[in-house]
Amino acid sequence: MQQVQGGDVYTGRELREMFTAATSWLEKSVPDINALNVFPVPDGDCGTNMLLTLRSTVEEAYRAPDSDASEVAQAMARGALMGARGNSGVILSQIFRGLAEELGGKGSFGGREFAAGLTQGAAVAYKALSHPVEGTILTVARDAAVAATTASAQTESLCHIVDAAVSAAKESVANTPSLLPVLRQAGVVDAGGQGLCVVLEGVLQYLRGEVEQMQYRQPQVMSSGLPNVSRIVQLSAEREEPYGYCTEFVVEGRRKLDRDKISSRLADKGQCLIVVGDEKMVHIHIHTFDPGKVLQYGCSLGILHEIKIQNMDDQYRGFAEMVESQSPPASVATVAVVSGDGLTQVFQSLGVSAVVQGGQTMNPSTRELLEAVESVAQDKVILLPNNKNIVPTARQLQGLTRKKVRVIPTETVPQGVAALLAFNYDADLKENVSIMKQASSAVKTIEVTRAVRSAVIGKVKIGHKQAIGFVDGKLASVGEAPEEVLLRVLQGLEMKQSELITIYYGKGAHRSEAEKVVGLIKRDYPNVEVELIYGGQPHYHYIASVE
Amino acid sequence: MWGFGVVRIVTDSPADIPPVLAKELGIVVIPLYVRFGSEVYRDGVDLTPDEFYRKLVTNRSLPVTSTPAPGEIAQVYDTLAEETEEIVSIHVSSKLSATYEVALQAREQMKKKCRVELVDSMSGAMGEGLVVIAAAKEARKGTGLEQVANLAREAALKSHVYMCFDTLEFLRRGGRIGRAQALLGSVLKVNPIIGVKDGETHPYGRERSRARAIDRVFDFVKSLPSIGELAVEHASTPDEAEALADRLGGIFPRERIYMSRVAPAVGVHVGPHVIAVSALEGQ
Repeated sequence: MQQVQGGDVYTGRELREMFTAATSWLEKSVPDINALNVFPVPDGDCGTNMLLTLRSTVEEAYRAPDSDASEVAQAMARGALMGARGNSGVILSQIFRGLAEELGGKGSFGGREFAAGLTQGAAVAYKALSHPVEGTILTVARDAAVAATTASAQTESLCHIVDAAVSAAKESVANTPSLLPVLRQAGVVDAGGQGLCVVLEGVLQYLRGEVEQMQYRQPQVMSSGLPNVSRIVQLSAEREEPYGYCTEFVVEGRRKLDRDKISSRLADKGQCLIVVGDEKMVHIHIHTFDPGKVLQYGCSLGILHEIKIQNMDDQYRGFAEMVESQSPPASVATVAVVSGDGLTQVFQSLGVSAVVQGGQTMNPSTRELLEAVESVAQDKVILLPNNKNIVPTARQLQGLTRKKVRVIPTETVPQGVAALLAFNYDADLKENVSIMKQASSAVKTIEVTRAVRSAVIGKVKIGHKQAIGFVDGKLASVGEAPEEVLLRVLQGLEMKQSELITIYYGKGAHRSEAEKVVGLIKRDYPNVEVELIYGGQPHYHYIASVE
Repeated sequence: MWGFGVVRIVTDSPADIPPVLAKELGIVVIPLYVRFGSEVYRDGVDLTPDEFYRKLVTNRSLPVTSTPAPGEIAQVYDTLAEETEEIVSIHVSSKLSATYEVALQAREQMKKKCRVELVDSMSGAMGEGLVVIAAAKEARKGTGLEQVANLAREAALKSHVYMCFDTLEFLRRGGRIGRAQALLGSVLKVNPIIGVKDGETHPYGRERSRARAIDRVFDFVKSLPSIGELAVEHASTPDEAEALADRLGGIFPRERIYMSRVAPAVGVHVGPHVIAVSALEGQ
């Protein structure tokens, strides 16, 4: 590395060395990345594919004269194209193509060229896919490139620029489940994105001169801030549709190759089509039920190299077994009856294994409950009916399934939340039933709704459509506005022992109105914490817990 | 001070051994590195917990930890070899840090003649610290190398650490969340309780308030079959730690409870507001 004013200059040899370092860094992460692989097909080979792609890239780089950056970059792009495997591997190969285009004719390079190469690579990768999907390695490549470009406006130091790219890539990987629902459902980040992040991290360690130390470190898999809901359920369910064959090869064209034309010819032959390369040579990747037809078409274009065909259904079975062996720590599943999108999210975010929609005035059938119990992977299931009228139905299940089913007779949503929070990952069924029962009985529930007809309860007269408030199922207050009733009920409670009020506002309530109530409660009880959550439940304007 | 025949104990900074106690028991603590951007500090040497937690809150970039080089640990062994011929080196869980691996390399690189037994504590913070303390106490009696190492290995199986968190953000971003991922992403505000079990980050549970999370930790400790050693440590809430120790004084002699501070190398991954109790089963 030569020091020049403002930044460092790197040669072809260093370009090769930085990706050699990245290859050994990625190698350590392969099993972790394989375990994340659920998109586009959960075949558990993403890490392996990226490693093989990178190896081929670096091997080719060693065949080029190493002083010249342009020569090495071209060789790497060629090696990546020839050796690319799988979706993420092919997209990774485009980063090298971007670098090669940017470094073309340059004997050496610095931070700005590298940033421009990443940008070009991300752009080429997006173009290579007929339907680019966000929340994948593509997004991570673009976010890393944007961060590198921004950094390159302030510094010419390659090390600082790659540092910025790595930080952005990490955040981007952590964010992939918010962009791609299949990742969120599986409770994982994108495997390809994680792979790219590790590759950039490897480059960074080389630039920092930490190649020695790398052997004692281990890349870390990023996690999203999102709840890990039901990974096992997703993967254990019997698949009805087969995935077919992952088919890949390189065509060395007899005549000029036209990528767009090849793409449109293959578009209806399968899924996940990617065609990359140039006029002389293209790499084709497709998931198809008929690899023969695809190969036949390839033969019509030129000579085929690096032909790889894999049965993805076999791969999927192996992957499902691997994931099952790494299952979440709990041996006991939980199933809750909940209504409202907000409350459903609350329960899912607390790790409930399955949710059955239902509640006041819409009790689920025995069959619906049974289906939920059968859908979870575990043989021991705890049911949270969260409504007085659903408890008897829930109790019938034990006789209808081979699984061991226990019911915590939660009569309200707050009781269900309290029970779920107390769930102990280490405990067995019996112990969990006991601690969850205890926890659910320690919470006080307030429910506010409007009367569907006029009535007299005890000595209290209730008019049609008046707001009524209950404490643990007993009528406590009657008034005109639900907010007024909620406040009055809360004010009527003994608060000395209480430290936390959680208010779930329903479909019929407005956040702004609810916030006013929260303000008034906080004024009256400065030592009590109040949390306002969107429940989205029908029927009840407000459900609140006091604990 | 330490006779030549005495087995000496080496550990790493994530064990959270209070410096005074380390000196008293002759424990040599190898610092990990904590890096904020381009600033690199030796944990507990160039960077005190107070400075660290202040920086952790104010700094924009998240710090990272790294292990010492094998040469550095080899140097520690070689220096100590002038005072002893036998060392037991006890380290933070090999599933959470590469320090144990580095120590294995270091042993190969030693120049002096000295037998070194390596122990994976399969824990961290005072969960590791109590294993180290038990080994140091045993070594002081003049017990031989194998016995001290075996005692440490047995203690590692009986050591528990329960840590109350306000946020899992640090654990997530540092990539050490492991199985505690199950506790991420709650819509409700919760206080998770996380420890180390079988060497890995483990979710013990969660509560709706810090006070109740501490109550639950108290219950966990109380329900252990026996308590031989107990420690309370905090990141930046000394009064809370004292109050918890006073309360634990009801089930274990208060004066025997070790009070410690979560070291920066651990703080990087757990954040500035944790409080933890560690217990070693035994008489």
